[in-house]
Amino acid sequence: MSRRNEIIERIRSLQGLPASAVQILNMIQDPDIDIGELTKIIEFDPGLTANLLKLANSAYFGMPRKVNSVREAAIRLGTNRISQLVIASAIAPIASKAVKGYDLPAGDLWTHAVAVAIGTEKMGLALNLKLPDHAFTAGLLHDIGKIIMGTFIEVDASPIMQLAFNEGVSFDAAEREILGIDHAEVGSLLLAAWKLPTDITEIVRYHHIPDEAEHGSQVLEMVHLANNLCLLGGIGSGMDGLNYRPSRIIVEKYNLKPKITEPVVMQIVTGLEGFHSWFNQ
Amino acid sequence: MQYTIGISDMRVSTQSDDILVTYSLGSCIGLAVYDPVVLVGGLIHCMLPLSKIDRKKADTNPCMFVDTGIPELLTEVYRLGAERKRLIAKVAGAASLLDAKGLFKIGERNYTVLRKILWKNNILIKSEDIGGTIARTMYLQMATGKTIVKSGGKESEL
Repeated sequence: MSRRNEIIERIRSLQGLPASAVQILNMIQDPDIDIGELTKIIEFDPGLTANLLKLANSAYFGMPRKVNSVREAAIRLGTNRISQLVIASAIAPIASKAVKGYDLPAGDLWTHAVAVAIGTEKMGLALNLKLPDHAFTAGLLHDIGKIIMGTFIEVDASPIMQLAFNEGVSFDAAEREILGIDHAEVGSLLLAAWKLPTDITEIVRYHHIPDEAEHGSQVLEMVHLANNLCLLGGIGSGMDGLNYRPSRIIVEKYNLKPKITEPVVMQIVTGLEGFHSWFNQ
Repeated sequence: MQYTIGISDMRVSTQSDDILVTYSLGSCIGLAVYDPVVLVGGLIHCMLPLSKIDRKKADTNPCMFVDTGIPELLTEVYRLGAERKRLIAKVAGAASLLDAKGLFKIGERNYTVLRKILWKNNILIKSEDIGGTIARTMYLQMATGKTIVKSGGKESEL
C-alpha cells in the first residue's frame, strides 16, 4: 500500500518559511528594490540578521574585511546574494538537525546542502555556463524533502534499503516503489507550498532523474552533477550512500572528464571550509 | 580520547587510549596503518587520486590526494618509531555510484593509486572493505590496532 497521500498530507501541515523570509524573497524579485527598506525588514528579525551576517562573513563570499551591518552586506554582496543568504538563514535551523530516517547526524544534511549549492556554482563556472541567479538556492534546497521523509514521517527504511542495495535499484526509485513518492518530489511539493518559484521546485523534483524533467535546464543539470560529486566525496551521505544513478546524457552532453570534475570536488571542499565556523555553532 | 579525521585529513597517534575515526567515506580512501610492536598508528582520509590537478593544493594539504597523502602518513608513523615490515595496513572506502562510468569512477581510481603507492613502499594490504554504493565510517583503536568499519547500521571488523 502506497503512503503517497499520507505523506503529501503531512507536507501541508508543516510550518512555512518565517514570514520575514517570504516577504524579503518577494521584495527581491522587484528590480527597483529599496535597499533601505530591505535592510529594515531583515533587521526586524534578529535570528535572521545574526545568521545572515555570519554567512556573509564566511570565506566563501570573499569579503576583504568584516561586514558588520545588514546594510553593508546588502550593498557589498548585492541583492542576489542577499536573497540566497536569506533563504539559507531561514533554512539552516531546520536543515541542521539530525535526520534520523536517513541516518544523518546533526549538521550533515546542512553541510551537504551548502556543498551542493557551492558545487552547482562551481560546476557552472568550470563549464563556462552563465547560470541564472537561482542556481545556488536550487542546490541548497535540493534535498529538503529528506527532512520530511526522515523526520516527520516514520518510514520503515528496511524494505527501501533491501530493494536499493540488493537489487541495484537507485535509492530514489526504491522510495517511489515502496512509498509511492521519493524525497525529491516531497521536497518540490514542500517548496511549492512555501510559494517558491517553479524554476526551483522543478529542479528539486528532478535532481536524481534530470532526463525525465519536462523543462530541463542547465541549473538542473549542474545540481545533478554537483549532488553526485558530493555523494562521491562523502559529503553528507547517509544510509542511502552513493546508491544513485548519474545521468549519462548529461556527462556526454558536456563531454565531462575527471580533469573537469575533480577540481570541482576540490573547490567544494575548499568552499565548505569557509563555512565551517558557521556549521559548528 | 576519540579524534575525528575530516575529509582530506590525517592523524597519527602513540596513545593507546586513542580512537581515530573518519566518517562518510564515499569514493574516498580511508587507510589505517598500525605497528603492533611499538603501538604507533595513523588514519588518513584522502579524497582524490592524483595531486597533479592542483600542485599548490597538494603543497598546503597533501592529504587531499592519495598520491601525496599516503607518503605523508607513512613518513609520520615512521618518524614515531613504526617500522615498515611490521606495519599492518587496512583499507575502506572507494565506493561508487550505480553504473558509474568514466568520471564518476573516482573510487576505483583512488584505489588503484593507493595500491600502486603501497606496492612501491613494500606494504601489503592486510584487509579491506571497499567498493559498492555504501558510505562507510572507519575506526582505528590504538590500543590493539583493531579496525572497525560501520555502514548503514552494520558493523564489522577489518
